[in-house]
Amino acid sequence: MVDWTKIRSDFPALERTINGRPVVYLDSACMALKPRQVIKAMNEYYEQYPACGGRSIHKFGEEASNAYTAARGKFAKFLNAADEKECIWTRNATESLNIVASAINLPKDSKILTTSLEHHSGSLPFVERARRDGLSIEVIKAKSDGTFDIEQWKDAIDSKTSLISVVHSSNVTGTIAPMKEIVEIAHDRGALVMSDDAQYAPHHPLNVQELDVDFSAISVHKMCGPTGMGVLYGKSEHLESMNMCFYGGDTVSDVRFENGVILPEYLPPPEKFEAGLQNYAGAIGAGAAAEYLQAIGMHEIEKHERSLLDVVLKRLCDMEHIQIIGTDNITIKTGLVTFLVDTVPSAHDVATFLNDELNVMVRSGWHCVGPFHYQLGIDPKKGTVRASFYLYNNRSDVDTFLSGLEALIEASK
Amino acid sequence: MTGLPKNAQCVLKILENVESLTTTEILGIASTDNYADLCTDCAGGDTFIAAANQLVQMGLITKKFGKGGYRWQLVRD
Repeated sequence: MVDWTKIRSDFPALERTINGRPVVYLDSACMALKPRQVIKAMNEYYEQYPACGGRSIHKFGEEASNAYTAARGKFAKFLNAADEKECIWTRNATESLNIVASAINLPKDSKILTTSLEHHSGSLPFVERARRDGLSIEVIKAKSDGTFDIEQWKDAIDSKTSLISVVHSSNVTGTIAPMKEIVEIAHDRGALVMSDDAQYAPHHPLNVQELDVDFSAISVHKMCGPTGMGVLYGKSEHLESMNMCFYGGDTVSDVRFENGVILPEYLPPPEKFEAGLQNYAGAIGAGAAAEYLQAIGMHEIEKHERSLLDVVLKRLCDMEHIQIIGTDNITIKTGLVTFLVDTVPSAHDVATFLNDELNVMVRSGWHCVGPFHYQLGIDPKKGTVRASFYLYNNRSDVDTFLSGLEALIEASK
Repeated sequence: MTGLPKNAQCVLKILENVESLTTTEILGIASTDNYADLCTDCAGGDTFIAAANQLVQMGLITKKFGKGGYRWQLVRD
């Protein structure tokens, strides 16, 4: 049994009060708060051994190398990757998606498949890749509740499909795509699958081997880790055959100089994709975050979030003037709810009111998912409101949020 | 005004010639061609409204919540 009160006390930001009131943080889908364990691991690097990993032979260098290597191992365990070399450190999920979009070899005349529910980071790199190489790109329309029929995928994935970029858990609707089924269909027809796990990995058990995805993109800042850190998971065979994106220090096994010519020999993954001095503190923090979440248990975290979401959805469904965007079926949903309030046309007003009156921090806007807002006929300028829950939220947060919404509706009628 | 971010300058310019506007009205005006050189985040609107809230903190504009949401108004000398 997890002691959620104790977990909550790991997060120093929640000890703050603003204008005499506690903070109700419901914007974890954008940025998760950081526990002391992660902050401590990063501080240890900066205070005790702030050196280059893999290069310097002194004690600090040795300790940095060991911590950096251990961090990759911790992350590989978190994803259940077959080999830790399948985990590439990046700046964020966006960079991970861009690396695949630009560096994977795809046959001429082939087709890339994506959806209207993708974050701009899951669609635009592939839109631009298709434009660059004259490939075709097809967009599967999500249903208005953010779900897909598996038949849509069976119809769209054909023998010309070379790559599919699909969001595993939507940052707008919270809906979880039927990833295992999509991968099976894709592989059966010779296509690769890039899973955008930016929202899925922090909130659910992610097992890349069981899902059999070819690539997975993760943002560490959404899973209690530091900002500016991400991971690209890729099956070894794909990472080995991909082109490089950046060249330079740490990517080479040798650089000879013969007859006036510089002759590089490049290292295999992961170094092949990690040019230059790395974010050692960030990687160490990422490893600590993965270890922290795993120690609690991803199934437990998923269950906790859904228990809060269940209360929120039931109350919102009963509340007049609220329109929920996305399914209310919590079994296929991450712990977030996106909605409109018909007495307040601008979602930004809802977010501002909740923040000003009750320190309830939610997100408003188009959430970098313009196509889905346009598809639903929602003016992105007016936007939608998103409240997202994580392991440190509790029933009191939920009650404050809901009473804030009731006060807002009353004051805006 | 020139030291302010572009989104904040845009809010001030829009409010210069009116009594008050709602959030939706401001964002609607900001996304017109007249403000194309100043409005850098009208599509999603969140950064734009964050800039407006900072102007409130600076005492340059006010906002008041009521029927339909907030109304924003320039503080005049």
